[in-house]
Amino acid sequence: MTIQELYSAVSQVAEQVLQIPKFDDSTNMISTPAWDSLKHVQLLSAIEREFGIEISGDDAFRLTSADRLIQYLHEKLQAEVRE
Amino acid sequence: MTVSLLPHQQSERPIELPYSNFLDLLRTHAEIAPAREFLIFPESGRKYSYRQFFEIAVAAADWLGNIAPKQSTIGVVLRNTPEFLAIYFGAVFRGMTVVPVNPDLAAPEIRFIVENSESTTVFYDPALKAKLAGLESDMFSAVRFLPFGDVADLAKIDVAAVEARLPQVEPTTPAAIIYTSGTTGYPKGVILSHMNFLADGKGMSEWFQFTSDTRSLCILPLFHNNGLVVSLATTLYMGGSIVMVDPKSSLRSFWALVERYNATFTSVMPSILAAILAFGFEGRPGLLKGIICGGQLLPLSLAEKFEARFGVPIFEGFGSTEASSYSCFNPHPAEKRKLGSVGKVLSVCEMKVVDDADVEVPDGTEGELCIRGINVAIGYLKLPELQKLRFRNGWYHSGDYGYRDSDGFYYFRGRKDDLIVKGGEKIYPAEVENVLSLHPNVAESAVIGVDDAILGQEICAFVKLKDNAASTEKELLSYCAESLARFKQPKRIVIINRLDDMLDLPKGPTKKILHRELRDYYQRRILNSEDPEGLKWVLGTQGPG
Repeated sequence: MTIQELYSAVSQVAEQVLQIPKFDDSTNMISTPAWDSLKHVQLLSAIEREFGIEISGDDAFRLTSADRLIQYLHEKLQAEVRE
Repeated sequence: MTVSLLPHQQSERPIELPYSNFLDLLRTHAEIAPAREFLIFPESGRKYSYRQFFEIAVAAADWLGNIAPKQSTIGVVLRNTPEFLAIYFGAVFRGMTVVPVNPDLAAPEIRFIVENSESTTVFYDPALKAKLAGLESDMFSAVRFLPFGDVADLAKIDVAAVEARLPQVEPTTPAAIIYTSGTTGYPKGVILSHMNFLADGKGMSEWFQFTSDTRSLCILPLFHNNGLVVSLATTLYMGGSIVMVDPKSSLRSFWALVERYNATFTSVMPSILAAILAFGFEGRPGLLKGIICGGQLLPLSLAEKFEARFGVPIFEGFGSTEASSYSCFNPHPAEKRKLGSVGKVLSVCEMKVVDDADVEVPDGTEGELCIRGINVAIGYLKLPELQKLRFRNGWYHSGDYGYRDSDGFYYFRGRKDDLIVKGGEKIYPAEVENVLSLHPNVAESAVIGVDDAILGQEICAFVKLKDNAASTEKELLSYCAESLARFKQPKRIVIINRLDDMLDLPKGPTKKILHRELRDYYQRRILNSEDPEGLKWVLGTQGPG
């Protein structure tokens, strides 16, 4: 998937889980109060289900913005394709 | 050193502190062990030794001297980052007072704190520019708003020369004003001195036998006293190291962080333990030496289940912002604890239990928990009446109720007022009621705390609409979101005009709303009804989904 396609897919999931009108490249945890600690857990779980991947605890705390999340997914999915 | 103490800071067992202020403390460790790790920030990969961060803090102090007036108060709207700590230490090195502000607060709430504290300058995370832009233009002439995104931007300085120019800061100089919920609906500022922080740091670090090998995992926000005192000051006091993580992103990574960074202690709210169990996050038993826990009632069943699952002793304590943080703890090591108790009093303070006439009651008798000692705050900012009420007869009166047993162990039972504690955040009903009362369709409202399996409590508002008004729950929730931080927003709003059995909000003879009756009503008619939607959130079953 391209970065653009990932944004499109993740935005749908994130907007539903976080209950925010728009999840785009400017969205980050600090400026989005709705993205709280419990929602972060729910968001990552929803993304795992959507993409059939597992996000480790070593990575989960770093995924604090839309950009970081998409970049992480992009690299993770590409690595899976290579394998 | 002779320090002039307030009546509620004096006790029968006076304590000598080896450090007079934060500069003294951090400089000492930077001299003893300059290369020892002090701060680790896993999210950004940055880490600092004691010497490195001391130099950053002195550089920040130098910069602040050019920006903010001497001994002024400054606001800090930053996450758990090196930037927060650089500003914090830099300011207190200069004798300035820091007001840490929760970045999740709504703009009107931030404005209140900035105005009330008379902050001259506010340092904020650049990601918050859009939120703070309105405030910046409104308050431009009175307050300077400055984004601060990277400690690397601080100018290189001659550390020794700058340090020599720093003013002498007395132990009793205010270091921070921490805002906590107020009964009137406006948060109240608690003024804490260098001595307060250092005393609590000393008391707790000795209690838990912290050493320079101690590594704390800080997953609570630095804008609260728990993060600032328990994780930061307590570990710093003994020259240990601290792994700092953003509280909003750390929950799922809790055990991974403990393992990767070999954390020996951490401090949490009971809601974090409940969430780790509820979500089923796995961790290797026995990694941590202990978990410090407080801030809200810790159910015994939760503590027992967590300890059985992960093999980590939980040390419950009791305290308040007005006493810097904790004043008593279940004893360390774990074999000395009494589960269900908040433990025995720390060495730096004294506690007692009093009745309504302020007379100390015998062991086993319930009453108000009172604290005195050098960890007890200077007092409240600009609230003289409340100051007189809470800091009277040489003791801080906490408003929390409990008792002491014959072995000197204290037990917390609850509060007499209607304070809601949600995930460790304290919210007085008036904060929410004041906002609802401004809605043109609302005649009156009352807000209560209701049980939540993970957060401890959730917020429920009962609203009476004006005649012929037609607002919905959704509309009122959106209205609250404009003025209240997310954690203060009600989970549910019950519009009583639509109830068959409540014509008016229950009131006493003086027309004061009876929140207890509403809690009873909620239990009887909503929690225990056949309403599956209601049950879903009240029982917290939607949390782990």
